[in-house]
Amino acid sequence: METLYIGGGTPTFLNAADWESLIEILENGLSFSKGMEVSVEANPDSLNEDHLRLWKTWRVNRVSLGIQSFSPGILRWLGRLHDEKQAIEALERCAECGFASSGDLIFGIPGQNLRLWHSDLRTLCGSVNHLSIYQLTAEPGTPLAGKRVASQSEAYPLYRFAQWYLNRRGFLQYEVASFARNESWCRHNLSYWKQTNVLGLGPSAWGYLDGLRYRNAAPLMRYLRQEGLRWEWTESLLQEDRAREAAILALRTRWGIRWKTFRRRFGGEISRKLGEALSELSPDLFVKRNGRISLSDKGFRLGNSIWERLV
Amino acid sequence: MKRDRIRNFCIIAHVDHGKSTLADRLLEFTETVDPRTMRAQYLDTLELERERGITIKSVPVRMNYRAADGTEYILNLIDTPGHVDFSYEVSRSLAACEGALLVVDAAQGVEAQTVANAYMAAEQGLELIPVVNKIDLPSAQPEEAKRELEEIIGVDAHNAILASAKEGKGIDEILERIVHDIPVPQGDPEAPLQALIFDSVYDNYRGVICYIRIVNGRLKAGQSIRFMATGRECQAEEIGVFRPGMTPVNELEAGEVGYLAASIKTIHEAQVGDTITEVARPAREALPGYKKMKPVVFCGFYPVVNEDYPQLRDALEKLQLNDSAIQFEPETSSALGFGFRCGFLGLLHMDIARERLIREFDVELVATAPNVVYQIVKTDGEILEANRPSDFPDAGQIEEIREPYIRLTVFVPSEFVGKVMQLCQDKRGIFHSMDYITPERLRLSYILPLAEFIVDFHDKLKSTTRGYASLDYEHVGFRASELVKVDVLVNQEPVDAFSFICHKDAAYHMGQSVVRKLKELIPRQLFEVPIQAAIGKKVIVRQNVKPLRKDVLAKCYGGDITRKRKLLEKQKEGKKKMKQIGRVSIPQEAFLAFLNIGKEEED
Repeated sequence: METLYIGGGTPTFLNAADWESLIEILENGLSFSKGMEVSVEANPDSLNEDHLRLWKTWRVNRVSLGIQSFSPGILRWLGRLHDEKQAIEALERCAECGFASSGDLIFGIPGQNLRLWHSDLRTLCGSVNHLSIYQLTAEPGTPLAGKRVASQSEAYPLYRFAQWYLNRRGFLQYEVASFARNESWCRHNLSYWKQTNVLGLGPSAWGYLDGLRYRNAAPLMRYLRQEGLRWEWTESLLQEDRAREAAILALRTRWGIRWKTFRRRFGGEISRKLGEALSELSPDLFVKRNGRISLSDKGFRLGNSIWERLV
Repeated sequence: MKRDRIRNFCIIAHVDHGKSTLADRLLEFTETVDPRTMRAQYLDTLELERERGITIKSVPVRMNYRAADGTEYILNLIDTPGHVDFSYEVSRSLAACEGALLVVDAAQGVEAQTVANAYMAAEQGLELIPVVNKIDLPSAQPEEAKRELEEIIGVDAHNAILASAKEGKGIDEILERIVHDIPVPQGDPEAPLQALIFDSVYDNYRGVICYIRIVNGRLKAGQSIRFMATGRECQAEEIGVFRPGMTPVNELEAGEVGYLAASIKTIHEAQVGDTITEVARPAREALPGYKKMKPVVFCGFYPVVNEDYPQLRDALEKLQLNDSAIQFEPETSSALGFGFRCGFLGLLHMDIARERLIREFDVELVATAPNVVYQIVKTDGEILEANRPSDFPDAGQIEEIREPYIRLTVFVPSEFVGKVMQLCQDKRGIFHSMDYITPERLRLSYILPLAEFIVDFHDKLKSTTRGYASLDYEHVGFRASELVKVDVLVNQEPVDAFSFICHKDAAYHMGQSVVRKLKELIPRQLFEVPIQAAIGKKVIVRQNVKPLRKDVLAKCYGGDITRKRKLLEKQKEGKKKMKQIGRVSIPQEAFLAFLNIGKEEED
């Protein structure tokens, strides 16, 4: 086992006693190795000293904080429960505890101008070595459904500014939405993009095993009632679809596709097909180096249009 | 039934002057249709006709009528299409009758189309019975309508029937006048058979069914017959009359109207206007007036998805079974792939065909801009007929281009005459004549290029006169014009589906609107896409579609991966519905929008 990620939004919802039993279950059921990445997701409003103490004494070495923004207006618009002060405190406490911390920021909120966006990026940059930026979408069935969000052309300058600014602050964009300083990539997320096997535990968790992707039953009671494998949904990819997906996922990252490895994994024919599909596109969308192809900054901005060619 | 008890007639009326309603009333008064099965516009067979309130082709009907003096008559009502596109079919329907009800709207008076059809009827010797309809309307001016009937058409209107088909007024008088005024059908039942095909339809089970009028002789079931234009011979399998459903009879004789089924597979073998005779004792000559219908408007139909080409061909073949005036032949467009160049009698005809293909045959298609037939005189003296812009040779080889012209007649209230003259002038019309019908209404006549007429003349006329003008036209042959072919290039590649022919003075303006429209409709691509209009090598208009700058980039962990893949697949599906021109995806709407370029200019 190389990484463990305790996520699903708000594990800080659990109190100290719950965490103790969770840790006990994990210790009994899994075999941990040295140098493993163990991440926890946390929300600034529910993170407390008990959590930090328990995590520090156990194996946690990385905390991912759902900051979203430091601007009171934006936090209110998003309906977040924390304020700017709590967000900064949470970051400070994580740093004091010695965790490698990461923060999420959201862009594309109506009224969010470059000045506000810059201020969020600057504040977060000061206290983390890893951060993710997400564009807001108003998904149906969520509280934001139907609300007006920024259009692609409004979001463009914000995303582009982040690419430029974070680079100046020493961050490397290693994935469409992820930036890291000093190579502090999130190894767990990288495993998704490399199509490595992931064991999903708990209701609604996803997993992947040699071409089989599955999801556990989502309602807690149904999940608990099930015996053995608690899969509610699975999909099994054929070799070619697997190759296409692998290529798309690989192109999310700055390492892109290494053709030699790709050919060995999936064969020459599909590699050639995918290579041809990419070669039809404008060269400035890509960086080609040492037998690899990856997206340029511009390419990252136009990912969908590029990946579409590989479906 | 004796011949002197038969009356064959049709109804001549302007669109929405109440023809279908009047027909409905006649069916009710003669108790031809059971009141329980009666529905409005009973004789209009196509769904599309009812919807648009126009009659494209309707079935004849035979009514039994007991006259006031107690005599029993057979009345055959033969309906006529009410649009200029179908004037040949009208003329054949008229040829099957001895008389016509000439219906005018009491509030609107005589319209251009009515005049043309009334003249055609008079030319063929039909007795005209003037009917002033809609006298129930508050705005009705029956005396004025009568005066117009006399002054414009020249019929004696002193005894015109005042009617309201809606309220059933005047229907009894109409029926009495039909039996008294309309002549008994002439013809010799003992002479060799001569039957006129005035319409034909395709039936899935019995093949082509011809609607016929026996002019001379007799037609018996089982008889060997010959179609005189095509020379085809066959057995008359079933003959019958319309009651209003098809009801078989053993024999039809001179003067009668009925139908014939003879296992005829395509409508081309039994063309409207052809004469049927008997094989054993053929008539010496065919009845006059037969013409092969020649399309005047052409456009390309292409399947949206290339794989649907055979489906489109099948659909066109089936449509043609029902409508022999449609012509089509395969053509290839570098932009749209495999499709068909189709010929129609007019724009309405084209529109109906397109809609029927979509509705009844469920094919998704792209239609290119319509155009007329051009005659091109080459520098070496050769004369070419061009049905589409790509038939045009290089500009260097063209000596002269000729285009078809029409003589257009417009009836218009005098307050709008300036606007209509302006419209005609804008459409390159040449003034022919103008006269006052009444102090308030004029008849304007222009010589106009057909190409200008087909685009949107009718709509523009309607909007500039608030619907108060009516028009009619006839073809007057080809004339030389200063025309150019304008090519449209998307990302440097000429898209043949977008090329068009226009007058050289209009090239810049039209090029502008086409290019602007395309710029709106072509989605941003990963690269900048120039759209150009060019005459030969000379670019006259250029606009660019700016490149796409950013996509929606959601996070992608664990289960998001599947969702993401599905989204990408959907995105790709959407692109598949577009036409790929070189590296550019062009949505179907861009091709459809082409048809509306002229119209939107007004907005």
